[in-house]
Amino acid sequence: MAKQFQSAKKKKMINNTVVHIILAVLAVIWLFPIFWVILTSFRAEKGSYVSTFLPKAFTFSNYEKLFNDTTILNFPQMFMNTLFIAICSCILSSFYVLAVSYCLSRIKFKLRKPYMNMAMVLGLFPGFMSMIAVYFILKAVGLTEGGLIKLALILCYSGGAGLGFQIAKGFFDTIPVAIDEAALLDGCTRWQIFSRITLPLSKPIIVYTVLTSFMAPWLDFIFAKVICRANSDQYTIAIGLWKMLEKEYIDSWYTSFAAGAVLISIPIALLFLFMQKYYVDGVSGAVKG
Amino acid sequence: MRRGLARFLTGIMTLTLVAGLTGCGGSKSANGVEKVRLMVWSPSEDQSKDNGEWLQTMCKSFANQHPEWDITFVYGVADEATAADQVSQDPDASADVFMYANDRITNLIDAKAIARFGGKYKDAIESTNSKELLDSLRVNNDIYGVPFTTNTWYMFYNKSVFSDDDVKNLDTMLKKGTVSFPLVNSWYLPAFYLGNGCTLFGNKNDESKGVDFGGEKAVDATNYVIDLAANPNFKIDADGSALAGLRDGSVSAMFTGSWDANAIKETLGDKMGVTSLPTFTVNGTKKQMLAYAGSKAIGVNSHSEHMEQAVALAVYLGSMEAQKAHYEMRNVIPCNTELLKDPKISADALVVAQNNTFNNTSILQPFVAAMTNCWTPVENMGKGIRNKSVTHDNAKEQTEAMNAAMNSNGIN
Repeated sequence: MAKQFQSAKKKKMINNTVVHIILAVLAVIWLFPIFWVILTSFRAEKGSYVSTFLPKAFTFSNYEKLFNDTTILNFPQMFMNTLFIAICSCILSSFYVLAVSYCLSRIKFKLRKPYMNMAMVLGLFPGFMSMIAVYFILKAVGLTEGGLIKLALILCYSGGAGLGFQIAKGFFDTIPVAIDEAALLDGCTRWQIFSRITLPLSKPIIVYTVLTSFMAPWLDFIFAKVICRANSDQYTIAIGLWKMLEKEYIDSWYTSFAAGAVLISIPIALLFLFMQKYYVDGVSGAVKG
Repeated sequence: MRRGLARFLTGIMTLTLVAGLTGCGGSKSANGVEKVRLMVWSPSEDQSKDNGEWLQTMCKSFANQHPEWDITFVYGVADEATAADQVSQDPDASADVFMYANDRITNLIDAKAIARFGGKYKDAIESTNSKELLDSLRVNNDIYGVPFTTNTWYMFYNKSVFSDDDVKNLDTMLKKGTVSFPLVNSWYLPAFYLGNGCTLFGNKNDESKGVDFGGEKAVDATNYVIDLAANPNFKIDADGSALAGLRDGSVSAMFTGSWDANAIKETLGDKMGVTSLPTFTVNGTKKQMLAYAGSKAIGVNSHSEHMEQAVALAVYLGSMEAQKAHYEMRNVIPCNTELLKDPKISADALVVAQNNTFNNTSILQPFVAAMTNCWTPVENMGKGIRNKSVTHDNAKEQTEAMNAAMNSNGIN
């Protein structure tokens, strides 16, 4: 008996060891590129080509260059542009998504089903298919010059958000209607039910919505490129990073490009770390049926 | 909260309306001075404070020369490589005056986005530029831009490794030091084929002549490149490896253009040598490597509302005075024939090398539409040679396959 027990324990240990080794190898493979970018951002040797994996010398000057050498590629300005655009469109599109999902989940109206089908079909098309049309509409309205480009980009990123309701609607569906009805009996309006009852119960999905709607404008390249054109003071970081790799700049900007790539991951990481707390709270404390 | 949102939405709508309504305005002021708004695009270096704001300086001095016009300049950033695409996408909302690389000229003409130069302006351009340079901007006898520099690649080397005589022949160089060449880049690789007698559209932009990268001469070139790649003193330049090699001393000569000149100068200092392309020896005879060459020019948008002023500004930005300032502030190599006689400029090795390459060791890079089919097959040939899938045994069929691919658009 004891022998049998021991061998089962041993078997489990071997199993665990194998699994952990495989996981460790996979983790190394997945984290390798990120690790390399971080190393490159501190590399002191110039140029885009290296013969050694580890830099021969380390320096902070790549980061300093991003913030001091602003006459050709103004990174701080691009960073602030993108941050502004991303925060605005994050707030707007989170609101759109949550509002649309709530309506579709709670209110029964005639066009509900057709609307959902239409949204599904529209969602199958890639967003940049409409890019040229969007550009000409924005141009006709006069939003493609100067500071209004920021507004144009915010509209672009948040305008279609209402179509991406599926996941949030699925979540709202799991909150019992009985709670809503109880609130209604107590004299709540629809808006109050949404803001006082449904939203506090939906932290995980709010976090998810906020994260995705922040990431999209933060990382987008195509729309920004098409709409910014020659207005270099409106460039977003995606365009700036892309510029750094052009023939004329790559040799002197390559390590700063890596530094820029590290810097843009900071807001996303911060947002995620900050929101993760609520995410976990939300999941564990959810009032379910 | 609801009221806040309503206010926000009204705000957006008002903004949109206001923005839509502006954009129309008068253009004539009382005292006969014409009000002009010119949008000018250039690479960001031309506008940067570190380089003395060449564009702003030139535009200001242009405005001073023309008191009859009250010009407001609007500056935008578009480098020569991308400006043409930006302008042809939407000429209405693009710069009146922009700088472009001549290989995009057909796109611009097809998009009806570029104006022809005529009359006294055409004469001015023709009198100050070489015929070869003008050919790079000429389509059906019309000139579509004011050239301000040439655009090609040539050889940089370490003077302590190679003597002036060595650099005349590639094979001599390979015996003395390490040479790096971007074999896998189809802007560079054709140099060997063109040097051995292959032609692209008759080397004269004649689409009907097609591509002749086949036959004995092309196979010989392929065989030469295979041997070159196998030479222990030869390194393939990819992803900036040659420049890194120059820095650590493992490479002594590389092929690139003026955009890398500063980095190389920093590395080699006084030992930097620069010259037009060397010859190479095929079957005992010396052949001259031939680069693709083009020009960068200042173009005028045919949709410009102020055509007269735009053309005058373009001609001014390409003038001798502007080119001289461009050279002094940004080291942009001039092409104005008068300016090249300036003793200070004609003593600059980089200027000499680039102009010698343009005049002697290059062909005008064809810009006919069919040229688009020529890039990938050549690149694949280079990669095949690097991977050793192209060998002496199959060189003939691989070369013929490349020639066939270059002559076809891949559809029919």
